Amino acid sequence: MTVETHTKAKLPHLSSDKQLTFIKLAVLSMAAILSFATRLFSVLRFESVIHEFDPYFNYRTTRYLTEEGFYKFHNWFDDRAWYPLGRIIGGTIYPGLMVTSATLYNIMQFLNITIDIRNVCVFLAPFFSSLTTIVTYLLTKELKDEGAGLVAAAMIAIVPGYISRSVAGSYDNEGIAIFCMLLTYYFWIKAVNTGTILWATMTALAYFYMVSSWGGYVFLINLIPLHVLALMMLGRFSARVYVAYSTLYCVGTILSMQISFVGFQPVQSSEHMLALGTFGLCQLYAFAQYLRERLSPANFELLFKALLSTLLATLGTAAVALTVTGKISPWTGRFYSLLDPSYAKNHIPIIASVSEHQPTSWSSFYFDLQVLVFLFPAGLYFCFSKLTDANIFIILYGVLSIYFAGVMVRLMLVLAPVMCIVSGVAASSLLSLHVKDIEPKVEKPDKKKKHENNLVFRSEVGALFVCVLGCLLTSYVFHCTWVTSEAYSSPSIVLSARGHDGARIIFDDFREAYTWLKMNTPEDSKVMSWWDYGYQITAMANRTVIVDNNTWNNTHISRVGQAMASTEEKAYEIMRELDVDYVLVIFGGLVGYSSDDINKFLWMVRIGGSTDRGAHIKEADYYTPAGEFRVDADGSSTLLNCLMYKMSYYKFGLMYTEGGRPPGYDRVRSAEIGNKDFNLDVLEEAYTTEHWLVRIYKVKPLPNRGV
Amino acid sequence: MAKIQYSFIFFLYIIIKCNGVNVDIISSDLKLKNVDRNIDISSQLVKITSKITLENTGRAPVKYFLYAAESVTKDNLAFVGFKDNNNKDLRLVETSVKGYDDVKFWRVELKEAVNAASTVVVMAEAVLTKALLPYPTAITQQEDQLVKFNGNLYFFSPYYVASQKTTVIVNTKSVESFTKVKPFSQQDGTISYGPYSNIGPFTEKELSIHYKNNSPFLTVTRIERLIEVSHWGNIAVEETIEIEHTGAKLKGPFSRYDYQQDHHSGPASVRSYKTLLPASAADVYYRDTNGNISTSNMKVKKDTVELDLRPRYPLFGGWRTHYTLGYNVPSYEYLYHSGNEYLLKMRVIDHIFDDMQVDELITKIILPEGSTNIKLNIPYPVSRLPDNLHYTYLDTKGRPVVSFTKRNVVENHIQDFQLRYTFPRLLMLQEPLLVVGFLYMLFLCVIIYVRLDFSIHKAEHPHKD
Repeated sequence: MTVETHTKAKLPHLSSDKQLTFIKLAVLSMAAILSFATRLFSVLRFESVIHEFDPYFNYRTTRYLTEEGFYKFHNWFDDRAWYPLGRIIGGTIYPGLMVTSATLYNIMQFLNITIDIRNVCVFLAPFFSSLTTIVTYLLTKELKDEGAGLVAAAMIAIVPGYISRSVAGSYDNEGIAIFCMLLTYYFWIKAVNTGTILWATMTALAYFYMVSSWGGYVFLINLIPLHVLALMMLGRFSARVYVAYSTLYCVGTILSMQISFVGFQPVQSSEHMLALGTFGLCQLYAFAQYLRERLSPANFELLFKALLSTLLATLGTAAVALTVTGKISPWTGRFYSLLDPSYAKNHIPIIASVSEHQPTSWSSFYFDLQVLVFLFPAGLYFCFSKLTDANIFIILYGVLSIYFAGVMVRLMLVLAPVMCIVSGVAASSLLSLHVKDIEPKVEKPDKKKKHENNLVFRSEVGALFVCVLGCLLTSYVFHCTWVTSEAYSSPSIVLSARGHDGARIIFDDFREAYTWLKMNTPEDSKVMSWWDYGYQITAMANRTVIVDNNTWNNTHISRVGQAMASTEEKAYEIMRELDVDYVLVIFGGLVGYSSDDINKFLWMVRIGGSTDRGAHIKEADYYTPAGEFRVDADGSSTLLNCLMYKMSYYKFGLMYTEGGRPPGYDRVRSAEIGNKDFNLDVLEEAYTTEHWLVRIYKVKPLPNRGV
Repeated sequence: MAKIQYSFIFFLYIIIKCNGVNVDIISSDLKLKNVDRNIDISSQLVKITSKITLENTGRAPVKYFLYAAESVTKDNLAFVGFKDNNNKDLRLVETSVKGYDDVKFWRVELKEAVNAASTVVVMAEAVLTKALLPYPTAITQQEDQLVKFNGNLYFFSPYYVASQKTTVIVNTKSVESFTKVKPFSQQDGTISYGPYSNIGPFTEKELSIHYKNNSPFLTVTRIERLIEVSHWGNIAVEETIEIEHTGAKLKGPFSRYDYQQDHHSGPASVRSYKTLLPASAADVYYRDTNGNISTSNMKVKKDTVELDLRPRYPLFGGWRTHYTLGYNVPSYEYLYHSGNEYLLKMRVIDHIFDDMQVDELITKIILPEGSTNIKLNIPYPVSRLPDNLHYTYLDTKGRPVVSFTKRNVVENHIQDFQLRYTFPRLLMLQEPLLVVGFLYMLFLCVIIYVRLDFSIHKAEHPHKD
């Protein structure tokens, strides 16, 4: 944003061309460094540790990859998860993330830089954010100019919507996928602008990297065909676009099919059909243009109509036939929920139960994007005002991603970059428009622009405007830093709170429990817990889990939900059936940790009751007659006697938690628990952490005969 | 036939010679006039200190005498040491005696020979590990830990003992049972036996005490101590430690409620322990494979740094934990040099907790790149592991690593090793030069790339936006 103002200031001994390069380099490298540094809050406050749930799985697989090599990783059958089914890891993940960090790790080991693989994983996302900053600059430069590029780069360096998924320790696919996505866009714009096979092939390679790292590539492979279609409709279709798209589609599709998790989907599933259709249409369109040049208009008209009708008919029947025979898979639930936000809630509880799949609220747009929300429409205006092939692309991208971000919270991530790009365009255009006015005009004897100069207070208005925009951008910086520091930088594996005297209290119960499991249970023990904790248990405790965060088998998860929601005797049967040795529950009632298992319990009931074998579990049974979910004496007796309740509150009835309250006062639900005095028959307490956050129970063996 | 026999004997002789085993005979001139034995079994170790009055009844002066360990204790015996009247250490050599194959002997060399008909007083110290067995082997959370000590009622010696007394310190009044051989007495946490007179050589009689012992029964099953020497003024020490509670196993559930409410709950469990580090230790870290262990306190005292280490969870019988503890110390306290010759003097093992017992110790010393002529000197026998190389930042040919291992280590083994090596001081410049050279090459490449045109065809219209 400062390029225009600085270029005039003369630096000693440098030509103005070099000054420009120097300032550009300085701004860009500062943005890149900033984007790395602002993501380090959690490392500085806590430690270099992997966050949340999914990153632990990625971390574990990366460790496996570095230790065992690529082929073993590719053929890895994981018997530690989904007991007794297991999971074929090589064929069910996007390996891009693991391969990237393993490659970086191996390069550094080769150079004798002995960095721990954990640190590589922790700092990978910030590192890729730096790269994203640079790619954003390049992309915006291609769309508009270098000034806009720098503003966009500075904005994306600190935009909370992107930081939320890429702080240090948040080792997830999205961390590198945004970089891959923007790189693909950059190459695509380049390819469309130049029409060379080189750039188109680069696009395909970047697309391959994107496919290998995130399932969100589907967005990309629908957006690019849409762009091509839009260009066709606007009459902008040219040989450049033809070359770019045909090359990208052919090379990109073949490459993407090399990822075993993707397999034949690019030619079978409905999600990829738009790309295929557009590819066909491109060929037809080009062919039609070729014919039009050779034939007389009347003949062409006839041929065109005949060809079109036969083609549509064949395509239609083929599509129907393929769908009926199952060659084209029906659209998956996640995709439906993109188009119809209420779909998941009504049909698939397991999708609806994930908080990041919820529709976005209005406030979170402002929270994650702040001033960008207002600059975005202005940017769109500037894009429309000078329509180019590239601008059409960014408009499409912006409008589509706004829709998707509104449907699902996590897709805010896809929106954030385009918000920055378009806002960068807006801010840069507005600034360059008004900064010109501030400068004392060199009075040229110019006749043409005479009528422009008749605005009063032109330079004052310009100055005011620049000030206002400056204030907005400054507030953006403060807002972003505040959001990053307060909302997105807690590792969630270590909790912290302030004590009465202001000292920081650390609740390290999760790692306490996982380490206990790792050191003090037999190596082959099977641990049952709600699926949220599956990845962490396998990664940190190295024990077999029944279900984990890769929620691929609904009936299995449902079985666990049924065990949690049943009485002890019923649950014992299920646990014997699943061969469970230990059961782990999260309980926040003592310290007031609200996302514990009791608060998630209704999802367990819903998911448990969603299959045939759990048909006897009805959500209504767990409510009071008045329809409330209560754990106190008024709560439903089904709830007060189910396994989850008993495991959470075992011996809790004796504990004094808050002054002036009776024993057994649950600080999350703010209620004295209803069922205090009970014993466990089929389980015994194996371990409870210091703040009771994690409770582990051992499943007793069958009683001896005759005892 | 005879030839074969001779060669066989010769062969045997060679084997014996090659093994380097000393063979001694038990001198009948020596007699133990009086033995005052003190057996401390109040911790997890058995510490035996004996005051031995040795008498030479022969005619010739005697330079040395033999010390023996009975077959049952010889595997548990972690440490044996002798001191003379002036509190000076006496030299010990392992030896054997014909006809006593399952007895372990040491030859103790006296500073001054004992003349005929005169006496000398020596202090013997022996430490046994794993000699106290929990009985019962599993207890519930609320129960006290009871252990059994099985030993020898008499001082085990190859010599005739004229008079002896034994005091056993149990430090508790709750003794379930103990061997009763008159004369004996029990008071205030001690049990005294004797005096017994005129006990012949190699006499064994069972001494068994079953008593309450809630002191921490922690065994370090494995410790790897890594010492990385830098000539830039720092020595980094990192210890990877695996600990197991080897007392009575926990039977039944662990109740957090009882453990929090009642301070007497889990008397045999270990909540925390103290580790003493050198006074100059800085940048201490305490972590495990899952990250930082946030439950510890550090107190800097005058002559040590005291760490109050709390494992992530309390340790009950049979529970295990592992962690990594690391710190830096300045090298001027431990590294001496004259010219290119260096001498590193550090502890083989450092304090982990009081009355510690270590099953397996591995010490590795990483020397700066380019060190040669490495000579290691350790005050007690260890098994040296093959040397290898370690690669880290800015290394080209690797740093030499000296490592050795020892089993069954106790606090008495906290002694200094001496490591001498040669390091040409000019090599100190290698690493900075490497960085400078790399940056120089980088800038050179950039300059060449920017100044020269590498494109294969000239653009027809010089592109300008």
